[in-house]
Formats: sequence, structure tokens, C-alpha cells
Amino acid sequence: MNAINYTEQELLQMISLWIPPERIPRKVMIKDTANFFRVDYDDIVVLKGIPYFVRNNEREGRFGMEDEQKFWVKRAIDLLTGRVKILKWAFKERYKSRIGGLVFDCVRSPLKEARILKLVRGREDFVQGESTKDSAGNFLRILDYIRGKTLDETVQLKGKNHEDFFFNHYPGLLSEFIAIVKSIKFLHDNGEKHGDIRRDHLIKDSRTGIYRLIDFDYNYLHYENKFGYDLFGLGNVLIHITGRGDITTQDLLHNAPDKFSRLTEDDINIVFHNRVTNLKKIYPYIPESLNRILMHFSTSARVYYNNTMELLEDLGEVREGVLAS
Amino acid sequence: MKKILETESKTRDKHILVAVDPSESSKRAVLYVADFVGGFPGFTVTLLSIINEPGEDFFETDDERKIWISNATEKSVTLLGKYRQILIQSGFPEEKVKTRVCVDAPGSLTELILSFQCDLNCCTVVVGRHHKSKTEEFLFGSISSRIIHDAKNCAIWVVE
Repeated sequence: MNAINYTEQELLQMISLWIPPERIPRKVMIKDTANFFRVDYDDIVVLKGIPYFVRNNEREGRFGMEDEQKFWVKRAIDLLTGRVKILKWAFKERYKSRIGGLVFDCVRSPLKEARILKLVRGREDFVQGESTKDSAGNFLRILDYIRGKTLDETVQLKGKNHEDFFFNHYPGLLSEFIAIVKSIKFLHDNGEKHGDIRRDHLIKDSRTGIYRLIDFDYNYLHYENKFGYDLFGLGNVLIHITGRGDITTQDLLHNAPDKFSRLTEDDINIVFHNRVTNLKKIYPYIPESLNRILMHFSTSARVYYNNTMELLEDLGEVREGVLAS
Repeated sequence: MKKILETESKTRDKHILVAVDPSESSKRAVLYVADFVGGFPGFTVTLLSIINEPGEDFFETDDERKIWISNATEKSVTLLGKYRQILIQSGFPEEKVKTRVCVDAPGSLTELILSFQCDLNCCTVVVGRHHKSKTEEFLFGSISSRIIHDAKNCAIWVVE
């Protein structure tokens, strides 16, 4: 049965199954899927024969900036099951990314995300979903909505202070991080990059307790090392969880000038020159073996990780030490 | 005895692989080979240009991708032609300077260069050094750094 044949009355009845009475609109419209700007709150879109009741646009915020509305990403309710879904329209974008003084070509590719969704089908460590074509023939992705907290939200909530966090919560987080690296290894082993590994692209599914990776539509033009940028993202996440947040030179200068005075140029992040990588100088109880991994992402590094396997080997040794202590 | 003669013949015919791109450092590498080996007998050079194809994600349509590859190939052929002339003018016989263009979407350019080295049985691989910043090398890698670690059974010349 094609839902596009549903009458307005039938659709309103279906909506009433999943929505509180005060939120049920008086009338609904089935919108064409070609242009996401024309699809609004309370509209209906029909994809693969299923009617979806559109709710708000999704938002994304970073680095304390105001949340940015993503007009091409909308929350919706599958009117046949009542499940919340994320509808992600094709938003093709080619742009120059600027990071640490470097400029490189990036692309937002619906095709890449559709390909990876197929690759990771059935896995608990990746968001699940499928792709279909909108009426203009572009890839539109229908994703499961994941209930849970992002990695950074989780980190901030754990422990009274860093020492308490490190000795009582970090070992568990480290194991979870190792699982995340293994998930990325799975992508790399299959020739795919994630493209935008960030702590807010890792959501701990409250149903399974396992982190799921989201947002893999980014791609970057790589040179010698196809996965270098992904490894950089993993390094940032590791430094973030180890420090229970990012430790910046500005923070130290104002709040812990004694610690700031002990830092040298060698102790900072190779890309973000205001972030401290040598966390042992801030928290001396961090084991040397762990700090050595962090220092692969510092300006003083002479050797970099080439692949996830190298990182996993070092992390495995650290985990044994951290869990044994 | 025959075997020994064959071996001697192979070792006499030194094959040098020069991996190039449009950069100035690649040009320096070619000039170095011309200056260092040009005019001496017993050397064959293959000039290799790898077109690092970005992959389907970077193109709207397959036609757009094909056009990109065609344009890049054309540029590479022109570049290799220019470098070939430099080597011939330095004293290499025409038949001893070969060119190869390879279109690929490799995980690592180094791996691809070394697979050519292996296939062509080259005793020496020559690359230019790009002088990347630490950040750039960290994020995207460096061919000259990696090739000196990964190469086996050949010499590597990294030309400054």
C-alpha cells in the first residue's frame, strides 16, 4: 500500500496515535521531497511508501557556539510504527577546510553516507538507517534516532574532580574508546574514512550502552595517508577523555599559572596550538605509557600513527596497565 | 656460465624509477637524475606520474569524474613529456627514458610507487622532498618520509 494514497483524515488519525492531542495539527500536507526548504514542521513526506510526520530541524553546536540549524536534517515520526527517525536530505557541499593553518578540499557526500550505511548494517556501533532517492533523484537517508548522550556529555558528568574521574571512571571510558577505534578500523579495513571524528559524533545508545558513530557523509581529499585525518580525530577524542575535557593554555594561564609555567612548546597539540597534549604535566598520576600515546599528537612527535592497528596495540598495553593498577 | 652472464647483463642495466608530480621538488628530482646519471651508459629511467583520483564522492556525476581524470591525465602526459626531454638532453638515449601514467585512488601513494618499483625491477627510486609542515605531515603523511621506511631491496634518493 502506498501511503501517498492515504487521505488527510487517515493521516491525521495515524498522527493521533503517536502525538499528544494538543500537538495534532488541524490539517496536514504531503510535501514533495525534492527540496528540503519546502518541507516544514507538521508536514508529511512519503518515502519508500511510508508516511513520515516531520518535526523540527536538527541542530549542531560546537566549541560553545550557538547551535546551528541543519535545514536538511529533520526529525520525523514514522507514522506506521511511531518510531522517531532522522531524515537527512542530500546537501552537497564542496568546501575548503581550514585547520591548524592548513587548507584542504572537503566534500559532504550523501553517496558516501549511503554506502557506509549499507556497509555497517546490523552493527551496534554505528547509527543504523537506509537510503532512498528523493523525488529529484538525490540520496536521502532515513536514520534511526539514537537516544543517549554524546561522548563529551558523558565525560563531563563523571567524577568529582579529575583524580576521582581518572581512577574510578577512566578505565571504563578507555575500554569504550578502544571499541570506538575498532569501529573506525572496520571502516578503514573496508576502504572507507569516517571523515569527521568528533566527540559529539559519538553517541552512547542508552538502550545498548554502546557508543554509536554518526555522521559519515564528510570526505576529505587525502594525500599520502588516507586515514591520517581520522587518526587525528581519534587522538583529539582520546586527549579529551583523558583530560576530562580539553585543557587549554588560556585556562591554565588564568586558573593554574604554576602548571602553565611548566609547559613548553613541545607539550601542545600539533594542530590546535592552544590545547595541552602533555597531560602528565597537568595530572602527574597519568601513566607514562598513556601519556606516550597522547604525545604522538603533540608538536614534539617524531613518529605518527599510520593506522588504527598501531594505535590499538599501544592502547591495549595501556588498558592492561590502567585496569591492573 | 650462461646464467652468470644473464645476471651480469641485468645488473648492468640499472633501472631508475622517478616518481613525479607538478611540484618544483619533483622537477628538482628529475634535474638531479639528469645531472647525476645523464650521459652514462647502462641506465634506464621510468618517469612515473600517479594521478590520485579523489573518488566518486567528489563528483556530481560519473561524466564529471571522467572529465577530471581525462584533464589530469593530459596534464601528466605533458609534464612527463617535458621531463623526458630534459633527461634525453642530458644524454639518456631516447629508448631508455620511459613514461608511465597511473590513475588510481590509492590508500597510500608510497605503496603504489613501491609496487611499480617491484614490477619494473628498479634498483633506485627517486622522489622530491616537499618540505611539508609538521602539521601537514601529521595529517596527510609524507611520501619521502614513508618511502625510506617502507622500501625494500632498492635505494631511495630523496632530492631536496
